[in-house]
Amino acid sequence: MLEIRDLKARIGDTEILTGLTLTVDAGEVHAIMGPNGSGKSTLAMVIAGHQDYVVTGGSVHYMGQDLLGMDPEERARIGVFLGFQYPVEIAGVNNAYLLKAALNAKRRTAGEPEVDAFEFLKLAREKMKLLDMDQALLNRGVNEGFSGGEKKRNEILQMAVLEPRLAILDETDSGLDIDALRAVAQGVNSLRDPERAIVLVTHYQRLLDYVEPDYVHVLSGGRIIRSGDKSLALQLEEKGYEWVREAVNA
Amino acid sequence: MSASAIDTGLLERAVRNLPGDSLTALRKEAAARFAETGFPTTRHEDWRYTNLAPAIELSNLWLRESAPVVADARPSDVARKLAADIAGRIEAHWIVVANGVVDNESLARLEDQALAGFRAVSVAGDSAPRPTTGDEPMTRFNTALLRDLLHITIGADCNLDKPVGLLLIDDADGAVTLSQARAIVDVAPNASVEFIEYHASTGDHSSFANVVIELHLASGSAVDYVRIQDRDEAHYQVGRMMADMGRDTTLRHAAFDLGGALVRNDVSIDLAHPGASVELYGLYLASGTQHIDNHTRVDHRVGPATSNEEYRGILSDRARCVFNGKAIVQKGADGTDARQANHNLLLSAKAEVDTKPELEIYADDVKCSHGATVGQLDKNALFYLRSRGLDREYAAKVLTRAFAAAIVARSPVRNANSHIEALIDERLQVIVGDPA
Repeated sequence: MLEIRDLKARIGDTEILTGLTLTVDAGEVHAIMGPNGSGKSTLAMVIAGHQDYVVTGGSVHYMGQDLLGMDPEERARIGVFLGFQYPVEIAGVNNAYLLKAALNAKRRTAGEPEVDAFEFLKLAREKMKLLDMDQALLNRGVNEGFSGGEKKRNEILQMAVLEPRLAILDETDSGLDIDALRAVAQGVNSLRDPERAIVLVTHYQRLLDYVEPDYVHVLSGGRIIRSGDKSLALQLEEKGYEWVREAVNA
Repeated sequence: MSASAIDTGLLERAVRNLPGDSLTALRKEAAARFAETGFPTTRHEDWRYTNLAPAIELSNLWLRESAPVVADARPSDVARKLAADIAGRIEAHWIVVANGVVDNESLARLEDQALAGFRAVSVAGDSAPRPTTGDEPMTRFNTALLRDLLHITIGADCNLDKPVGLLLIDDADGAVTLSQARAIVDVAPNASVEFIEYHASTGDHSSFANVVIELHLASGSAVDYVRIQDRDEAHYQVGRMMADMGRDTTLRHAAFDLGGALVRNDVSIDLAHPGASVELYGLYLASGTQHIDNHTRVDHRVGPATSNEEYRGILSDRARCVFNGKAIVQKGADGTDARQANHNLLLSAKAEVDTKPELEIYADDVKCSHGATVGQLDKNALFYLRSRGLDREYAAKVLTRAFAAAIVARSPVRNANSHIEALIDERLQVIVGDPA
């Protein structure tokens, strides 16, 4: 589903990704772990198409299509979703309005009829219940005045409503208390599907207790230096990132 | 006589040509005092960014060609149609002033309803004209050429089912027009009222409207006020709103400037009694070569009193806007709380805004803040919306609309809001472009 080859990218004059290769198939959950500054968020932003990140080499294909040539909105409409590490607060844009506009943009692209206000509300409420979210958040400005946990739940809500085929969740677990973490994990698990791939970008192993990955990759210096199954995450937790770097260099 | 001054000979002739009535002496005096200064020029600090030369040129043309023949007191058919259209969109007790002439039919309609505590008269025929306040050159010019003075009183027992609407229309079909509109609104102790001041224009020529509104709030009264300016692109406008605030009064004022070629608004609030509270909100949307200038002045003469002000602007193309907000806290005005903010969204590199929030504080025990921002759409917010599938133009429009919506949300006359929103959407279509 996702085919990244030798990807190189920079922001400003700083080279962040230095040749990253990764293949993700439908039905799989991958965890990408790494220390701060290793390029985790850059990878997420490049896949979503943020204009500040300049791709200097390599390729990213999604369902056989060249993702790098597309606008961010095109990527979203064909099923790529980025859950942001720092969701933006947008005062004056109603949360429900954005969610409905996003869903209908995707449905139009797929040639499906748009949902009306009634159908949309029913769907949104159902998903909010699953995430144990306060329904009042639907009528607030997008992330406006949301707590850290509410913002992350809101990202998962958007994912649950949009039902992407490829979801990249950038540090969705950071800053969450245990209840919020459980709710978010439950939301992610409910979306596990043979047709869907999920990439969890995370610093800590904690989330992986709740969402079990099929593969774990260690990112360091802008490329993947080691891949394994979930036991790799446990080893990392125990021995730290230095251990992998030393093991690789040895 | 330079090209950039009013021809005072023509002005005097026009003053003489107005019907002789109770305002005659006032007009003559104002004309003489106006002749001492003429229009303000860019040499005045308060006018340095706004050049009235096109309005002067238009005024001279009108004084030369149209002023001698103005006699018809009835609005034109086109103006009536426009008035009916606006009245159909916003529920209000409308008083129509077309080309500076009060439409007596609209007054008669209100009189027929015998609204308790409410009175609106055109003073030209009245025996006792009120001395008018304000000594600015443009107010003198207004008085000199004032045909009808509208006097509205809101009694303590006034309990209107909908806002009072003042509809100012200029019809410049076939010839340029110059109009002076003037209203004095007296609000009795403990009375409350909602007010809409609506500006529209029509016709194939340019028009220039010079408007002065005086609000007098007696103790304990409350006024919710919205000004909606939706003039044509060949319209010039100078407007002044003065409010003197009695003890424990409340004024909530919102101003929406959507049209016009050259627009200058002055809002001047006099806080001479304790316990007053003023909120001033403004939104200006400018594209093409539009020029919109907002000057506000809040004079805290005693405390405690609060003033809270926020103006926002959205500019594209080569539009130019000015914001100057001045809050003065006089010596002894302790317990003053004055806040001021001006935020601007520049959607084009060639648009320009000059913003200057000012605080002058001579008292000790005060809370004051001011701030101004000028910027583009937030890149991260734009990316966030695009990453959810909204295309770039649509996302930009959503964010721009949200920026404007913050002021609409503050606008105190609720039943005008859906029309204001529709006007804003229409303007944003031009400013930001159609969503793809």
